[in-house]
Amino acid sequence: MKRRSAGTRAASAEPTTVVVLRLYVAGGAPNSLQAIANLESICAEYLKDGHRLEIVDVLEEPRRAMADGVLVTPSLTKISPVPVAQVIGNLSDRPRVLQALGIRSHGH
Amino acid sequence: MATDRRRAGGGRTSGASRLEVALQALPRGGIEWQAVTAGEVDAVVDYAHSNVILFPLARRAMRDGAAIAGTPAQPEGRVANSILAELSREDLGQMLAGLEVVHLRNGQLLHEEAMEFRYVYFPIDCVVCLSTAAEGQRRIKTGLVGYEGLVGMSLVFGVEASPVQASVLAEGAALRMGADRFVEELSRCRTLQNALHHYTHFELAEARHEIACMSFGRMEQRVASLLLMVSDRSRKQSLFLTQECMAATLHARRVSITLASASLRSRKLILYSRGTIRILHRRGLEALSCSCYRKWKDPRAA
Repeated sequence: MKRRSAGTRAASAEPTTVVVLRLYVAGGAPNSLQAIANLESICAEYLKDGHRLEIVDVLEEPRRAMADGVLVTPSLTKISPVPVAQVIGNLSDRPRVLQALGIRSHGH
Repeated sequence: MATDRRRAGGGRTSGASRLEVALQALPRGGIEWQAVTAGEVDAVVDYAHSNVILFPLARRAMRDGAAIAGTPAQPEGRVANSILAELSREDLGQMLAGLEVVHLRNGQLLHEEAMEFRYVYFPIDCVVCLSTAAEGQRRIKTGLVGYEGLVGMSLVFGVEASPVQASVLAEGAALRMGADRFVEELSRCRTLQNALHHYTHFELAEARHEIACMSFGRMEQRVASLLLMVSDRSRKQSLFLTQECMAATLHARRVSITLASASLRSRKLILYSRGTIRILHRRGLEALSCSCYRKWKDPRAA
């Protein structure tokens, strides 16, 4: 799994900040299912009610994926707070996902 | 992976060649390309044709899942294990915080007989074989667990050591949770308790029928039933099962499995090569299977 981040600093998300995420998946394909499970696990553990997650099935909405510049799925975009960040893949590398989302893991 | 796709292209406007063209449009060395080479991508957006091209593996998995389960591939946002799927969104969120996705490989030992549980597993598309020591080193299959169930059921009844050995029969993904955390979640969540009690009833009933099947079923029937059960629980039509593994699972001689498999192949019900078995004619296999399979065809129908 690879990460693209517009920022250089991984700050911890403020408790009052709502993190807005959009996950592009391809129906029930294996990596997409894994990405959903992994992301829901991360959200439940770290973000609780402080997040908004939208899951977009590109098989149903290909034009939307194109409008948003998505190249492959699964693809996760952190829309806010800035900096915008993107993670590609099944999100199984939790430290990388946390870093991209600007979340400090419990272990740090 | 890229080499295979080039080979499949053939120069025609086939799905494979369109996939190849779409892949070539990806920034070489970029994060998308790296995820493709890592095998973590299901589909590529084809901007030239305004559509989405699935990778062959993803397409096959979705087709098999839909064909076997009789439903569209897993709905968006749902967890692909039947026990977890029964939980409310709130309970599921609490559970997911303690779960991690793991890929289980063929033959991997999840827990040993009489040893304390370290983890429980909610299979997604793998199948786990539960076995009990019969005599010496010989083991006999006493259960199969797939997406419909949980590996580590003894914890539900407060028993901390496993009465069976659990090993992976068909590789795939599962959600794993630490045993201590699972016990906490179980005591907290009534829906989880109910789902697992229902599953226990199903497991017991199925085990009773399998005992009858072992006594009266012909080897051909038993092999057909085993293939269907593994296929149902993994939601795959192609199964990685060696004859040696099937013989151990069915507590039969390998030559008996070879003969039964050859018979199924001659009837064009299955194809097999190097340990991979493909189900060609599911209904034919069902007609031939034991009554225990036909009775418990749907793992959630108990």
